[in-house]
Amino acid sequence: MRRVGFVLVLGAGALITAAWIYARTAADEAYDRLLLGAAFQMSDGLIVAEDSLRFVLPPSAFELLGLAQHDRVFYRVIDPSGATLTGYADLAAEIDLEVSRAAPVFGNDTFLGVPVRTVTVSHAMSMPNGPGWAYVVVAQTIEARRALASELTARASVLVAVMSVLALIGTAFAVRYSLRPVDDLGAALRRRDPQDLAPLQVAVPRELSPFVTSINHFINRLDERIKLLQRYIADSAHQIRTPLTALSAQVSMIDEQKVAPEDRRHLQRVQSRTAELAGLTNQLLNHAMVIHRFDSIQLAPVWLNEVARMAFRNAVPITVDPDMVVSFEPSEEELVAMGDALSLREAIVNVIDNALRHGAVARLEVRVRRREDFGLIEVIDDGPGIRQEDWPNVVSRFYTGSSDTRGASGLGFAIASEVASVLHGRLGFRERTETKPFCVYLELPLIQDSDR
Amino acid sequence: MRVLLIEDTHDVGEAICRRFQQTGHTVDWETDGAAASDILGFTEYDLVILDVMLPGMDGFSILKKLRQAKSGVPVLVLTARSEIDDRVTALDHGADDYLVKPFDFRELEARARVLVRRRSGGDATNLIVCGDISLDRANRNVMVGKREIQLKRREIALLEILASRPGKVFSKEELLDQLFGFDDAAGANAIELYIGRLRKKLDGARARIVTLRGSGYQLISDDGT
Amino acid sequence: MSRYRLPALKRVLAAVAYLFPAMAGAVEGDRVTFPAQGDETGRLVIHAATDLEAMRPLLRDFQALNPGVAIEYSDYVTNDLFREAQQACAAGSSKADILLSSSVDQLVRLANDGCAQMHDSSGTQGVADWANWRNEVFGFTFEPVVFVYDRRSVPPEDVPRSHDALSDLLRSKTDVYRGRIATYDIEASGIGYLLAFYDSRQAPTANGRLLETLSRAETVVRCCNNEVLGELAAGRISIAYNVLGSYAYAAALANPDLRIVLPEDYALILSRGAMIPARAAGAEFGKHFLDYLLSARGRQVARESSFFFSEDAPLPHGVEGPESLTGSGIGRPIRIGPALLAAQDEIQRHQFITDWKNVLLRR
Repeated sequence: MRRVGFVLVLGAGALITAAWIYARTAADEAYDRLLLGAAFQMSDGLIVAEDSLRFVLPPSAFELLGLAQHDRVFYRVIDPSGATLTGYADLAAEIDLEVSRAAPVFGNDTFLGVPVRTVTVSHAMSMPNGPGWAYVVVAQTIEARRALASELTARASVLVAVMSVLALIGTAFAVRYSLRPVDDLGAALRRRDPQDLAPLQVAVPRELSPFVTSINHFINRLDERIKLLQRYIADSAHQIRTPLTALSAQVSMIDEQKVAPEDRRHLQRVQSRTAELAGLTNQLLNHAMVIHRFDSIQLAPVWLNEVARMAFRNAVPITVDPDMVVSFEPSEEELVAMGDALSLREAIVNVIDNALRHGAVARLEVRVRRREDFGLIEVIDDGPGIRQEDWPNVVSRFYTGSSDTRGASGLGFAIASEVASVLHGRLGFRERTETKPFCVYLELPLIQDSDR
Repeated sequence: MRVLLIEDTHDVGEAICRRFQQTGHTVDWETDGAAASDILGFTEYDLVILDVMLPGMDGFSILKKLRQAKSGVPVLVLTARSEIDDRVTALDHGADDYLVKPFDFRELEARARVLVRRRSGGDATNLIVCGDISLDRANRNVMVGKREIQLKRREIALLEILASRPGKVFSKEELLDQLFGFDDAAGANAIELYIGRLRKKLDGARARIVTLRGSGYQLISDDGT
Repeated sequence: MSRYRLPALKRVLAAVAYLFPAMAGAVEGDRVTFPAQGDETGRLVIHAATDLEAMRPLLRDFQALNPGVAIEYSDYVTNDLFREAQQACAAGSSKADILLSSSVDQLVRLANDGCAQMHDSSGTQGVADWANWRNEVFGFTFEPVVFVYDRRSVPPEDVPRSHDALSDLLRSKTDVYRGRIATYDIEASGIGYLLAFYDSRQAPTANGRLLETLSRAETVVRCCNNEVLGELAAGRISIAYNVLGSYAYAAALANPDLRIVLPEDYALILSRGAMIPARAAGAEFGKHFLDYLLSARGRQVARESSFFFSEDAPLPHGVEGPESLTGSGIGRPIRIGPALLAAQDEIQRHQFITDWKNVLLRR
C-alpha cells in the first residue's frame, strides 16, 4: 500500500506539473489573443491623411486589454521613419521590428521592472515619399495570465488530489477485495475436517484458480494414496480370508467320530487354533481398516441406540450358548454423538465379543444410557472382570495378560479404545462389586441439541 | 429346502454343501457368477448364499439383478472383502444378511435358518403382549420393558405358545407337540429345560411362567391382564 | 497647458474666486496645514488636484477621528500634480502620502507606469468595480455630468432634457441662444477634455452634430466649472453644458434660479481618483485617509457637505432623474482602468483637441 501511495504521489506530481505547463500555455494563448487583437486595433488607428501620418488610438483596444482587469498596459507606435510616434518610447527597444512584417511576433520582456508579454505587429503605410512600415508594440503585464494559470493549476491540482485519494481508496478496496478470495480459501482450508479429502469447492477469481488447482491436485494425490492403502488392506484381507475360510471349512468337515481317539485331541487343537486365527485375522484387518478410515472419512452425527443395536446383533452369534441370558437395552432418549457409525459399531462389537468369549458366564447385557453430556454404551457381564491393574494394559495392542482368561483379547480393546479416543471419548471399565457386575463402557461426548 | 450356493472357492463351497446336505437340504452349487445369475432367472430357491468375489459376474451384480427382477428370495452374502466396506454395500443392494469370512459354519447354518423362517413367517407385524413382555412374531424379537432379549428359536416358539393365551395352562404334552412336532424325538425333560431358560431370560419382567404341578405351565401377567 | 487651478467650490459660492490668482508655472502646490487637534503623532501629506473647500469637511472629520494627525494639504492644477508625481516617481521618491485628482486618467497613467502602491483593505473591498483599478487607483466620489440652466432666461419649454434636445434647441433657436451657452475649454481643463472625449464615444454622430450646433451657437468656452457657473450666475449665459454635478448643485443651492438637468439619454459619471504613490514616506497615513474616504462615514460627510451625489444614495433634493443612476443605465461611469490610457495618449489628445477646436471655435 505504501508503494501504491508513492506511485500515486509521483503520478500526482507529474500530473500537476503537466497541468501547470498546460495552464500556462492556455493562459498565454487566451491572453495573447487579446493582446494581438488590441495591437491590430491600434495599428488600424494609423492612417495617412493630408500627406501626413495620423494616429487615432482606439479606446476599444484598451478595453480589450482591460479584460485582463488588473494588468498594466504599455504601447509604442513607431512610424515608418523609425521614430516613436507615441507611447512609451523605451518599450521593447531591442526588438527587431522587421521580423513582425511576416507575422505578429510575441515576446517576453521586462518593462519598468516588471515582466511583460509583448506583441509586435506591422502595418504597411503608403507615405507620400513612398511605402513604408509602421509598427505597433503592445505590452501587458502578466498578472492575469499568472492568475489564470495558477487558478487552472489549482483546480487541476484539486482534481488530481481528489483522484489520487480516490485511487488510493480504490486501490485499498481493490487489494482487499482481490485478496478476499485468498482469505476465503484460507478459511475454507482451516474449516475443513482433516479427513475431508474432497477437492476444494471455493469460488475464486481466475487468477487464483491455478493455486486452488494445485491444492486440489495435492489433496487428490493424498486421497489416492489413502485409497490405495485401503485397497491394499482390502485386497490383503481378501487374500488372507479366503484360504482361512477354506481352512476352517475343511477342518469343519473332518468327522470327529472317525478320527482315532488319540488324534481327536490334535483335531480339537487344530479347530481351536483355526478359530483363534480367524478371530485374530478379523481383528487385525478390522483394526487397520478402522484406523485408516479416520484418515479419509468425515465425522457425522451418529445415533448411539441404533449403532449399539447393530453391534449387538452382529456380535452375538445365533449360535451363542442357549443358557446365556443376552439382552440389549437402549436409552429412552435418542443420544447423538459425532462419529463414524461403522467404526463405532466395530468398537462395540469388539467389546461385546470380548465379553462373550472371555467374560460372560450366564449373562450379558448391553445398555445405552446418558451420563451428563456423555453417551455411554455399557457392556456388562457376570464374569470375574479384569483386575484394575490390568486396565491400562488391555487397551494396548497384543497385550497378553499374565493371567488367563481375558489375556487373549488381542486387539479388541485396543480397537475400541482407539475409536473412542478419535471420537473424543474413552473406553472405561467398572469394577465388579458385591452388587454390581463388571462393566466395560464406551463414553462419547454428545452433540448438544443446539449443535444439531 | 432348496438352497443356491454361489461360491468359487472350492474348499469353502464343499464344506457348505456338505453341511446343508447333512441337514437334509438340497443345495445347488455354482462357481460362476454369470451362470448363477442365469439359473436364478428360472429357478425358485428358498435361500441364496452368495459370495461377493466371483468369476463371470460379481455377487453384488447378481444381487442387484435379482432384486430388479422383484425376487424376494432371502440372500445371505458371504464376503472376504473388508467387512466395513462390503457390509454396507451388501445391505444396500438388498442382501438380507451377511457373514464375513472366515465364519463359523454353525453360525452360517443358524442364520440361514433364521432367514428362511422369517420369510415364511410373513411380513405382517404381529405383536403379542403380555405384561411388559412383547413378542414380534414377524421379526422373532422379544422385548422385556425396554430391554431386548435375545431368545433362541425354540425359546421364542415356547413363549409364543404361552403368550398367545396368557393364563391358560398348557400341559407338557401339548407343548411338546407344538414345539417339536411328531418327528422330533424329544423327551418331556426338554420342555423343562426350555421353560427354565425362558424363565431366566424373562427375569425381571412383569409376567412370569407359573408351574402347576402335574398339569402344566401358564404365563401370568402381573398387570392383571 | 492650463495655468488655472481648479477653484474651490465654496469660493464660487462666496464669489471670491479671484482672491486667489493663478500661480504661474508653479509646480509646488498651494499648501495649507491643518495642525493636529491633539498632540501631533504623525503628519499626512496630501497632494490634490481637487478643491480644498470641498475637501475641508472631510479633512476635519478625519482629524476628529484621528486627533494626532496633522494634515499638510497642497492644492495643484491637475497637470502640475501629474507632472510632479511623474518626476517624483522617476526619481524614486514621493513627497505626498496620497494623491487626489479629478483627472483620474492621469492617476491611471501613473499607476500604469508603476508609480502607485496597492492597498487592499476592508475599506477598498466595498469600492465598485468600475472605480477600482488594481487596488491602486480608487474613485472616491460619484459625480454625474449635468446641464445647468438659468430659468430666468430659459422658458420651461426650452429646457433641454437630453443631448439631442440641446442640439435641437440650439438649432431651432440659434439666434436666441447664440453666445448664451458655455462649456469647458477642453484645452485648458483636463476634466473638460476627459468629458468631451467620453462624450464623443457615447454617441459619435449625435455628438458631432451637437458640437457643430454648439459651434453655430457661438458657444462660450471657459477654463473651468466655476467660471462657467460664474457666467451663468451673472446672467451672461443661459445654459451651461457639461458641468460636474457637485459644482452645479452647490451653485444651485446658492442661486435658486439655476436649475440642474440630468440628461435623460445619458449622463457621464466621473469619480475623482485617489492613489498612494509607490514610494510614499507616510504611506500608512495615506492609506488610513484613503480608508476613511471610502468608509461609510467618509461617504456620508462627502454626500452631505462636499459632493452631494452618491452612488448608493438617492439623488439630492431638487434634482430630477431616475432613482438609481447606474441601475437605470443613464449613468455611464467612466471606468477607472487602462482604457483611460487612450485618453492620456499625447497624440490622441493633441489630435482630439485640435479637431474639437476646429469644429467648435472654427479656427
